[in-house]
Amino acid sequence: MRDQALRYRSIHTQLMEMVLALRQTVEDHITQLTTRPQEQDPGLEEQRHGQAIREQEALLGRLLFQIISFLPAGAPGNQSFQPPCTSTDSRGDAGGGQPVQTSRQTGQMFYQESDFENTIISYDLSNRGIDISALYHLSFRDYNTYQGNKYHKDKNTLGYINLGTSENKLCTDLLAERLNQSDMTYIDEDLLQYTDWRGQPFLRKEVARFLTFYCKTPEFLDPENVVILNGRSAVFSALAMVLCDPGEAFLVPTPSYGGFAFSTHLYAKVKLVPVHLESQVTEASGYPFQLTVDKLEQALLGAKIEGKKVRGLVLINPQNPLGDVYSQDSMMEYLEFAKKYNLHVIVDEMYMLSVFDEAITFHSVLSMKSLPDPNKTHVIWGTSKDFCISGFRFGALYTHNREVASAMSSFGYLHSISGIAQYKLRQLLQDREWIDNVYLPSYHFRLQEAHRYVTHKLKALKVPFLNRGSGLYVWINLKQYLDPCTFEEELLLHHRFLDHKLILSPGKTFMCKEPGWFRLIFAVRPHLLRSAMRRFQQVLVEQEQEHRVKQLEDAMKEEVSTSQPETPASPVLRKS
Amino acid sequence: MSTLPQKESRMTTACPGSDSIQGLPGNKGDGLERECSRKPDQKPLKFYGVGDPTAMFCSSSPYLSSRGSVIKWFWDSAEEGYMTYHMDEYDEDKNPSGIINLGTSENKLCFDLLSRRLSQSDMLQVEPSLLQYPDWRGHLFLREEVARFLSFYCRSPAPLKPENVVVLNGSASLFSALATVLCEAEEAFLIPAPYYGAITQHVYLYGNVRLVYVYLDSEVTGLETRPFQLTVEKLEMALQGANSEGVKVKGLILINPQNPLGDVYSPAELQEYLEFAKRHELHVMVDEVYMLSVFEESVGYRSVLSLERLPDPQRTHVMWATSKDFGMSGLRFGTLYTENQDVATAVTSLCRYHGLSGLTQYQMAQLLRDRDWINQVYLPENHARLKAAHTYVSEDLRALGIPFVSRGAGFFIWVDLRKYLPEATFEEEVLLWRRFLENKVLLSFGKAFECKEPGWFRLVFSDKTHRLRLGMQRVRQVLEGQPQVAEDAPPCQIQEPRGPHK
Repeated sequence: MRDQALRYRSIHTQLMEMVLALRQTVEDHITQLTTRPQEQDPGLEEQRHGQAIREQEALLGRLLFQIISFLPAGAPGNQSFQPPCTSTDSRGDAGGGQPVQTSRQTGQMFYQESDFENTIISYDLSNRGIDISALYHLSFRDYNTYQGNKYHKDKNTLGYINLGTSENKLCTDLLAERLNQSDMTYIDEDLLQYTDWRGQPFLRKEVARFLTFYCKTPEFLDPENVVILNGRSAVFSALAMVLCDPGEAFLVPTPSYGGFAFSTHLYAKVKLVPVHLESQVTEASGYPFQLTVDKLEQALLGAKIEGKKVRGLVLINPQNPLGDVYSQDSMMEYLEFAKKYNLHVIVDEMYMLSVFDEAITFHSVLSMKSLPDPNKTHVIWGTSKDFCISGFRFGALYTHNREVASAMSSFGYLHSISGIAQYKLRQLLQDREWIDNVYLPSYHFRLQEAHRYVTHKLKALKVPFLNRGSGLYVWINLKQYLDPCTFEEELLLHHRFLDHKLILSPGKTFMCKEPGWFRLIFAVRPHLLRSAMRRFQQVLVEQEQEHRVKQLEDAMKEEVSTSQPETPASPVLRKS
Repeated sequence: MSTLPQKESRMTTACPGSDSIQGLPGNKGDGLERECSRKPDQKPLKFYGVGDPTAMFCSSSPYLSSRGSVIKWFWDSAEEGYMTYHMDEYDEDKNPSGIINLGTSENKLCFDLLSRRLSQSDMLQVEPSLLQYPDWRGHLFLREEVARFLSFYCRSPAPLKPENVVVLNGSASLFSALATVLCEAEEAFLIPAPYYGAITQHVYLYGNVRLVYVYLDSEVTGLETRPFQLTVEKLEMALQGANSEGVKVKGLILINPQNPLGDVYSPAELQEYLEFAKRHELHVMVDEVYMLSVFEESVGYRSVLSLERLPDPQRTHVMWATSKDFGMSGLRFGTLYTENQDVATAVTSLCRYHGLSGLTQYQMAQLLRDRDWINQVYLPENHARLKAAHTYVSEDLRALGIPFVSRGAGFFIWVDLRKYLPEATFEEEVLLWRRFLENKVLLSFGKAFECKEPGWFRLVFSDKTHRLRLGMQRVRQVLEGQPQVAEDAPPCQIQEPRGPHK
């Protein structure tokens, strides 16, 4: 567990730095206290002196606070974790009676403000700057590790394979080929100059046309309702700004794409109120992790009791990480719920063209004949997932609400896209023939193949998973490999994957309530997927072996403790 | 926009100064100035102002958060001139009576060179890796190229390092990110005014950071040698003023070459400003977005990165972008250079929201690498064209007897139209601006730059000859139809201190 060791070392270093800073401040403070103000202009000097002392005291307080709050977050052992899972899974309570092995605790995976606020010290950054850096550091640690040591089939077979980042790598060949065609290279004066900050008019028009067609809208969509920014995250960040004031909140059914927490927090300081879904199927829910209006109401009520002001509901459809596609009826219920409580609804349809199971029909919210509250329904789409071009930075908002569109436009300066890139996107989106006859059929075929391969493997390994037909991922259940079933063990399993140079996303990063779930991305090229699944299997085998040994030890201990009164300290038993 | 707020500029009484004005370049009018400076001025001078971007905001929306309503109002109000222009853009063939834009600071002189260069085959490569999530700091190949490029063109004493470079989609984003990571909400940056007004929104939108204006004067007093000169004394007074109001100042923004003044700071001046910042533990953001647009060789521009020793390197952050120097405002490429790794990392944390396409990053690297083309084709031609356009406009202004400030850098001339205002108010300034717009020429008025004296306009000259000619003709028409306050005054004469008007 080299990563773990490194993490400890970094915690140690940070703590040292804090203590040194504290010592310096204390010394300065004493010097300041013992120095007499100079004679000239005693009044003013006195005042300055007093102010300096007060400033130092404030600094001292802050440093001490940092250290104190750093200790439980960074040091092993003191972390309170969520209770063990309560699912009906056969192993659910297997470890219930055992003490948690705290010494194996590592860093934090999910961000709560108190967790990361104080893990970075800098006198140059503002508090929110520190907060932003720390959150980024924690959220992208695995990603950055991967960037520094990527798997390559010839050059670096020992590098990391990333099945954690939801990035579509199945069709980059097709896209590179299309983008290399001659119609893409046009340059016009307008493309190199300031333009409409909502997006080039030609691109907004094309996006409206594109969505009209692929979302099967009852009427033509209006380009004036389209705002284009550089990516979904940017759209979400700006929306959080214009719909919520700091400290206000959005409801979000969980498990949910973790990037939201990031996008709402970094700039906008908007909170997320999770609507916890359960894997267990009950009378009220027909399938695992089903979202019901009842749950939405409970969560909303809970938030109100806690004094949180909820301004909207975020829905991802097709869902990430579950892969669920909402039926028209369910979607209508959610929208009616939102209308009833005067909430905005943000519908993220980033994966709308990534529904690869032909038996499933995706219904865009834009296809509805009449929306319950059109002025509060805002749809997000982008090309990162459906077109394998996450590096292109394109995201679009469609909203009937002109006030929201205007307010969003103010962010055009900060989230703008190169005119040249906008031109290429237009060319891409308008090539309906290529999309329908070349791209989508190949893309869906490759998704099916990859999905089939992965699910086949998972079945062989007896790993339960949600078998859905959309998205780039499967949501898998590894509870049986956790003993006890806690988030701590989930994190350890995650690190075991990392030790084997495999990145998966643990459920906690999706705000999943139950430990033991992981999201596995399968939208990578076949050779990579095969190597990844070999590593995956190896980890599970190791984990299982370790469990057996542990169970055996436990059984032995029990034997020892029950037999102890009669034969104390039997050397034979101890040896095993 | 018609009632311009005064409440945001809190008045401070100062030692009496004089209202003198620098006339045409090279035309000193020394005697008159000295004479004038002996006359005590009763009018209190403003040293600084604490900006309140929301001062004019009134209506809120039921659909938006309170900050969302303010943000929407920004869009609705700030874009007035730009919107009018977009609905009626001049086109030689299709809309010859459309509006000529001499308001937006864009270089439209070199599109032919750029389009040829960007169409060359080395620009067209599409690597799959360029289509994927990047290193959020910017692709390494680009950061390396930026470091080499800045080392060369900023003449840095030691080679600059790629790890100190962060790449984003334009300098607007960079202001936003820096404001957020260096300040808490409601804290402030100092900025000498007049300044490029869009910065107000860049630092406010996400960051909720204010600007404290360090007011510069058109009249030359004391030890100053030129109009609107920034001095450490002015910085000190503005800082003190802000502190006395309880406004916490975290940094200083310097634009060099300056926009809208076209002014260039000497190395000695830069050093003084940086020492001032160091004394007060302020960050300094140096925006050098016009560094290669110095078309007058005698100016001798020096980047802050060329200084042998920075007083406080950990708090000095340099910004550059291709929008001005390469005439590609639509390309959206900006970069930060800072030795402070905490700041670089914190800005990178926000780059997820300010990323630029991998293909664009590739093209930028190709462009910046092509030193031959830049040095032998692009820069000489660009400078020659800028200089010709500048000469044309400045001669036109001289013929009209209009004073202006310009030092051979940037795309604009800072024009003194005070004598065309019946009253020295910002209301009159806007009225004159509207008259220009009605006559189909868009200029920028001084209030947009937080200039404290009404009557100054920024006129952008980096446009094609035929448009420039027509634009200047329309400017002339308006001014000729406008009664002058002092009609018989020669161009560089000293105006009386703003007193009762006729």
